[in-house]
Amino acid sequence: MTTPRRQIKLGAFLMATGHHVASWRHPDAQADGGINVAHYRKVVETAEKAKFDLVFVADSPAGWPRAKDREAQQRSSQGAHFEPLTLWSALSQVTSHIGFVATASTTYEDPYLLARRFASLDHLSGGRAAWNVVTTGADVSHNFQIAGHPAHADRYARAEEFVDLVLDLWDSHEDGAFPRDKDSGIYVDLDRVHQLNHKGTHFSVRGPLNVPRPVQGHPVVVQAGASEPGRRLAARTAEMIFTANQTLEDAQAFYADVKRRLPAYGRSPDQLLIVPGIFPVLGGTEAEAQRNHEEIQNLIHPAIAWEILTRHYQGRDLSGYSLDDRAPPLPESTELNKSRLTLVSDLVSRGNLTLRQLYLAVAGARGHREVVGTPEQIADAMQQWFENGAADAFNIMPPVLPRGLDDFVAEVVPILRRRGLFREEYEGPTLRENLGLQRPENRFAARRGISAAE
Amino acid sequence: MTQRQLHLNLFVYPGGHHEAGWRYHGSDPDRVVDISYYQELARKAEAAKFDALFFADGPALADNIRYASRFRLEPLTTITALAAVTQRIGLIATASTTYSEPYNLARLFASVDHISNGRVGWNIVTTGAAQAAQNFGLDAHPDHGDRYGRAHEFLEVVTKLWDSWQDDALVIDPQTGIFADDDKIHEINHVGAHFRVRGPLNLSRSPQGRPVYVQAGSSEDGRHFAALHAEAIFTAHQNLRNAQDFYADIKARLRGIGRNPDHLKVLPGISPYIGSTTAEAEALHDEFNDLTQPAYSLGVLRRMTGLELSGHDLDGPFPRHLIAPDPDRAEASRFKLVLDIVDREKPTIRQLLHRIAGARGHWVTVGTPEKIADDIQTWFENGAADGFNVMPPWLHGGFDAFVDHVLPILRKRGLFRHDYQGQTLRDHFGLPRPDSLYATETKRSA
Repeated sequence: MTTPRRQIKLGAFLMATGHHVASWRHPDAQADGGINVAHYRKVVETAEKAKFDLVFVADSPAGWPRAKDREAQQRSSQGAHFEPLTLWSALSQVTSHIGFVATASTTYEDPYLLARRFASLDHLSGGRAAWNVVTTGADVSHNFQIAGHPAHADRYARAEEFVDLVLDLWDSHEDGAFPRDKDSGIYVDLDRVHQLNHKGTHFSVRGPLNVPRPVQGHPVVVQAGASEPGRRLAARTAEMIFTANQTLEDAQAFYADVKRRLPAYGRSPDQLLIVPGIFPVLGGTEAEAQRNHEEIQNLIHPAIAWEILTRHYQGRDLSGYSLDDRAPPLPESTELNKSRLTLVSDLVSRGNLTLRQLYLAVAGARGHREVVGTPEQIADAMQQWFENGAADAFNIMPPVLPRGLDDFVAEVVPILRRRGLFREEYEGPTLRENLGLQRPENRFAARRGISAAE
Repeated sequence: MTQRQLHLNLFVYPGGHHEAGWRYHGSDPDRVVDISYYQELARKAEAAKFDALFFADGPALADNIRYASRFRLEPLTTITALAAVTQRIGLIATASTTYSEPYNLARLFASVDHISNGRVGWNIVTTGAAQAAQNFGLDAHPDHGDRYGRAHEFLEVVTKLWDSWQDDALVIDPQTGIFADDDKIHEINHVGAHFRVRGPLNLSRSPQGRPVYVQAGSSEDGRHFAALHAEAIFTAHQNLRNAQDFYADIKARLRGIGRNPDHLKVLPGISPYIGSTTAEAEALHDEFNDLTQPAYSLGVLRRMTGLELSGHDLDGPFPRHLIAPDPDRAEASRFKLVLDIVDREKPTIRQLLHRIAGARGHWVTVGTPEKIADDIQTWFENGAADGFNVMPPWLHGGFDAFVDHVLPILRKRGLFRHDYQGQTLRDHFGLPRPDSLYATETKRSA
């Protein structure tokens, strides 16, 4: 008997009309995708038909940062989009195997309410829910009752406590806590229902949850920040980490660093999957792929270009510059999204980019890896990272939807299959089974000395 | 002119509304977190052309869980899942103004209204259960008056957020590259005693403009709130006279502030025990009461009245004199309702437990389909109701009996629709679609 070959896991990272900032203007895009549930349904069905592990949407509890420039503001397609947990609740009903990753903020949400919604989604989907834990990089405090956006370190301190609380709430009823015995009249076994009585720095929560334990025990926990506190949080609590790396070397260094941290928390390296994003621009030939890329880059209006640049320079006045001037150094420290800024800075210093090259470099994948080429070249790029300690899985980031995912599924997935790198069939009905992640033991049962095998 | 028609919601309660409904042989307690169980109910209710499904909620687990079905799925995710497998039926979820952030809640409801193509309603509650406070870091549950103060401002904030994109704000013209008209998207810049929210919402205006505003408290604060804001009110009455008084009071309040009284639908709860003969229906009702467990029922009574009666002779008279005056509790509508039963019927403790076991104080009717239809018609035609929340004692059978036997009679009498006339919940309830506050502003300045 041979051990099954390690295979790539695939996520479809969906932006309404595609990842490229101008995607909504592209003839192959569903221009109103952000508020068109039929569009999302079609895209998710495509991903499920191709046996993707999961679909994923990013989120922020605010309008996307509003440009000061009205020209740019009204050209942005990102101001109107579904709330992720409701969107996935609906689509979980018309699919059977694909996992649903919803992003939700530990800074701007409440642990009891959020634990309930994810537990509920996990029940609704039959064990296919995952939570992408974010602390929210952008300052959206103006929509909430807190005095200003918390500093990076404070957000992560709150996130550590928040995640533990949510895990405890999901465990507040043990598996098998519900005899629901009509004859005796006993509905629940009180010995298997637990109050948390948590009193911490940021929260005090009594519990228990009023939703029974999720099908997966816990929805899969995902983390997406690559800063030092982000890596610590991921190493301790996450089962997938969504990351942005430009080069094999950077990706390998990140991969090794995160995996190295796991034993300190009593975890093995296969309990945390590393998932870089990849933005594939396909063509029948390399030249055609380049033309496809140029076609969409040319749809970026100058007002949007300057808006992107202003955001990366954190509001600095760039009026003395033209797009063909060399990009000045980017600001060094930020309390916002740390890991992404470092990455763009590296691009600037590595490539001596002009401002035009800088905005073109981030307009598509916002710092994720872009691969422009033939299906073979894209499969090669994935295989190289997968087999060289840089990735366990990929988030595919279609530049334009639905076309970008249709093309990837039709042209790249068969190559990965031919090479034995991607599944023919789902391993099981839950996201954990497909990702090869264990169903977690109940924390309270463990404390009572009851093994998960019981 | 077409005859005035009933509005009917199916009030879905895990396991059914009778507190021992989960023990009834026809019930399916193992399926209370299985979405297919609710899908089946939703499809049945839609086939019966019901106005809406309604889900109650509170952000805490009740204390008294050992003998009753108190666990549930979270309502907003649940109704969105049901939106995906239905076309026309309305979907009403409860959410708390005391324990939610307005921005987050506004997004959730707007999102569901988009996904369901305009079928969502929000049952606005301030959360009566004190144990919720301890899940949200509060030392004490805010008192009744404070909760309503916050609720008024909460509603103001979410209304502005739902209106922050005018209906025609989206342009989506790939040729010119204009996605949205920035003049029609508004920061709300709300600053009040409880909330400070800038906005705008990150979602365009939803098909109904705003979810249908539903309210379910009948205290003085609750009535005042409903008169100002609500478009449907869920209420609990034990008899025609009380229901008429409430109906007249609420409609008068609307006229008093210049609102059209037809724009608030009064929908009492009704929990029907249906048999082909009166004796059969009564036997069914008795069967349910025999399944009650005093250890549970006494807890319900304690929460409603503050009285701890375990150890008392259940067949002795209810000790009315032990009820202490409690200014906070005195405002609660359910407390008044229990006192009213006690004063009117002079029950034993066990009789009172059975009276509230059926539907937590809602109206329980027992009889043949004709009798149930007569009851409904009487209330509907005598100024007590615009329709009902149907509260089956158990699921699904209790609902099937209503649809199969009572509904055809109501239809024959011309009291209930044969098919939907519109697409949205507002259409079903006969409610107008509100203009955006900001559209009016733009018109004025133009």
